[in-house]
Amino acid sequence: MAARDFRNAEHLPNLRPDQQPASPEELPRQRNGVTPQMHGRYPDYNVLDESEHWDEITRRLVFERVESTPPIRFFTDAEARTLGMFCDLVMAQDREPKIAVLNMVDAKLFEGQLDGFRYADMPEDRETWRRLALGLDAAARQHGAGDFAGAATDVQMRVVDALAKGELRGEVWDEMPPAKTWKVVSRAILSAFYSHPWAWSEIGFGGPAYPRGYARLGAGQRENWEGAPAFETDPVKDTEQRGVQGT
Amino acid sequence: MSRRHELRTLLRGALRPPDNDSAFLLDVHRRAVPQERMARYDDSYPVDLVIVGAGAGGGTLAQRLARRGWKVVVLESGPFWDPDEDWVSDEAGSHRLYWTDERITGGSDPVELGKNNSGHGVGGSMVHYAGYCPRFHPSDFEVRSRDGVGEDWPIRYWDLKPHYERLELELPVAGDYWPWGDPHRYPHTPHPIAGGADAARDGAKKLGIEMRVGPVGITNGSFGNRPHCIYRGYCLQGCKVNAKASPLVTHIPDAIEHGAEIRAHCMVTEVVLDDASGQVTGVRYVSDGRERFQRADAVAVAGYSIETPRLLLNSTSRRFPHGLANNNDQVGRCVMVQGAPQVAGRFPDEMRMYKAPPPEICSEQFYETDEQRGFVRGFAIQTVGPLPIEHAQHIAGHGHWGPALREYMRDYNHWYTLGILAELLPQPENRVTVVSDVTDQNGIPVARMDYSQCENDRKNIAFGKQTIHDIFEAAGAQDFLITDRYAHLVGGCRMGSDPEQSVVDADQRCWDVPNLFIADGSVMPTQGSANPALTIMALASRLAERLELKRTGSDSAARRRRSRRPRRRAPIQAGGG
Repeated sequence: MAARDFRNAEHLPNLRPDQQPASPEELPRQRNGVTPQMHGRYPDYNVLDESEHWDEITRRLVFERVESTPPIRFFTDAEARTLGMFCDLVMAQDREPKIAVLNMVDAKLFEGQLDGFRYADMPEDRETWRRLALGLDAAARQHGAGDFAGAATDVQMRVVDALAKGELRGEVWDEMPPAKTWKVVSRAILSAFYSHPWAWSEIGFGGPAYPRGYARLGAGQRENWEGAPAFETDPVKDTEQRGVQGT
Repeated sequence: MSRRHELRTLLRGALRPPDNDSAFLLDVHRRAVPQERMARYDDSYPVDLVIVGAGAGGGTLAQRLARRGWKVVVLESGPFWDPDEDWVSDEAGSHRLYWTDERITGGSDPVELGKNNSGHGVGGSMVHYAGYCPRFHPSDFEVRSRDGVGEDWPIRYWDLKPHYERLELELPVAGDYWPWGDPHRYPHTPHPIAGGADAARDGAKKLGIEMRVGPVGITNGSFGNRPHCIYRGYCLQGCKVNAKASPLVTHIPDAIEHGAEIRAHCMVTEVVLDDASGQVTGVRYVSDGRERFQRADAVAVAGYSIETPRLLLNSTSRRFPHGLANNNDQVGRCVMVQGAPQVAGRFPDEMRMYKAPPPEICSEQFYETDEQRGFVRGFAIQTVGPLPIEHAQHIAGHGHWGPALREYMRDYNHWYTLGILAELLPQPENRVTVVSDVTDQNGIPVARMDYSQCENDRKNIAFGKQTIHDIFEAAGAQDFLITDRYAHLVGGCRMGSDPEQSVVDADQRCWDVPNLFIADGSVMPTQGSANPALTIMALASRLAERLELKRTGSDSAARRRRSRRPRRRAPIQAGGG
């Protein structure tokens, strides 16, 4: 396994023949704090270490996301099973630790939080999610599976890809346009996932920045507390040298 | 001129703008606007003017007229924000800043509303705008004469110029000398820019495209009691620092000091017309679940391009069965958005685009019509600086999800983003209507916005998108991610010189209702490629001047006002009300 230099861009999907990234298993394991699935480009950076520099209101809000996972109250058990699988696929969360995306979406829908618009040819957001669960099962059956959650991974991936491309047809999808459904649900999923500080540590994002702010704005610069990327670090040698085990 | 400018630059933060002490009325130790001394008017007291909406238009108008002795009440549907307590340094946690009530969006190119373009609370959308404050170009006011499209305004650039100049001192606006449109300087010197903007500027230069720093309504250095910017990058989440300009800090404090009342959490449901006289008598509104009625001699609606038409369309009477001021079926028509696709470019160095305000540099080199491009009008190029959620949506917009999206997000720190603002043309079928069978929590029909692009719009957007792609390519970007979106809202109740083709006249007065005015971006007949905030403020500032001229022209009205009983004051409460 060769070390990667992230000054190059060859790891990026657009530049690879199959448009897919290499396995994130090649990245270093997170050594400080938690990232989703413990992949880390910034293995020693934990954004939560900085929380003493945040304002109190923001700190409370961010820690709430880490410390309490809202229960599923809006979706039925069957819906939660289908949609939980769907959210994991969309965010490529194939093992623990996972950000509980569906729980965050459920809380939003349960509280009736709206985004301020709905497409004229779409039902309201709550109904969109319920119909999505039906529609995923319907699409999985078209591939010969019993339902979406129980389908083989490659069938699940094909169904999600067809939804993202707006290509699902039949049953639910004749009444609810798949492209707009994807817009509505992916917006909610991405908002949940990237609002979580574990995801911020994974991508090396500075997080809340009030009242401290930033001073080093130039290319290639970082504040003394910001995480260093792990490029040119061979994860195998690195873990051996440090005597740490990946999870 | 240059000597004077140098002196002003030297003294910048210490200089008071003319006739506006807002920055000096703020508290040094907390960010909230002091409300302890705010006037309180009785519902039954006929104030000189009630303004619906405390955003760029309503806030500016209230300050101008309160300064001139008018008794003004501003009714705002959202909260009176306290930046210390209500706002967070967090993307998802800023949901409350947006207009999130139900609205329906249709047409062949539907526009995302909410977070994208609709504000809520005192300060309006300027609470979460990026901060760009460009002026319109002189050509924007005569698009029909010059290019045979859109509509000419009933006023010219020169009518707004003195208001632009005054507002640039009040916000204050920071930026390089501006060579485009009507060339001008800015009162505050340009901000430092981050690495990504530097790279983009170099790339543009290689292609012969000039990009300049600013213009942004963000103090460079402290300004009165507003601290300097700390470059934390959360401009779109509400500026907890009070460095970014919004009416909340630039006009509301001075309005309150001069006797205006800002009444928050008041949703206006109807502008009430007296059918006998044909004049409006006040507004009906809901506060704390209770319906109330504020009497007023005149009403100015400043609810922006969706809520203003919605309110007028929902205010029916015998004289106006299809909605107030809508007997020519013009209310809600020609609503506009700007085409705002974004291109992200990937660089070998970390750019960490979450640092520094998203608005950094700008080019208006493509603003005017160039026939060689194959379409009329043009676009501006600006920087965007999306935070993680916004950037993830950009990646999804390009077509990635799952493992590919996660990989791109892990690469977040290597990216920088440019966007364009393309001038899309006004079309009558792009309109706001109300949907009678879908109502809000007060039982009022919600708005529906239909939007479709025309051929010129598509060409303009495609050309602009290619241009920013080329800039990144010249800058040495290694990969690109492209997404389509819209920005801003204007139009819907346009001003004009023909009552058949417009809702208000050159003084923003509704054609058929002599004491009803519209004081927001909905009056714009065209939109240019400039962010609308400064122009909305300039229009409100000009409207105040016109109203004052009219009033002083009428002796009897002035005498009547002088003889009124003094305004009621609330007892002073700790923490304001």
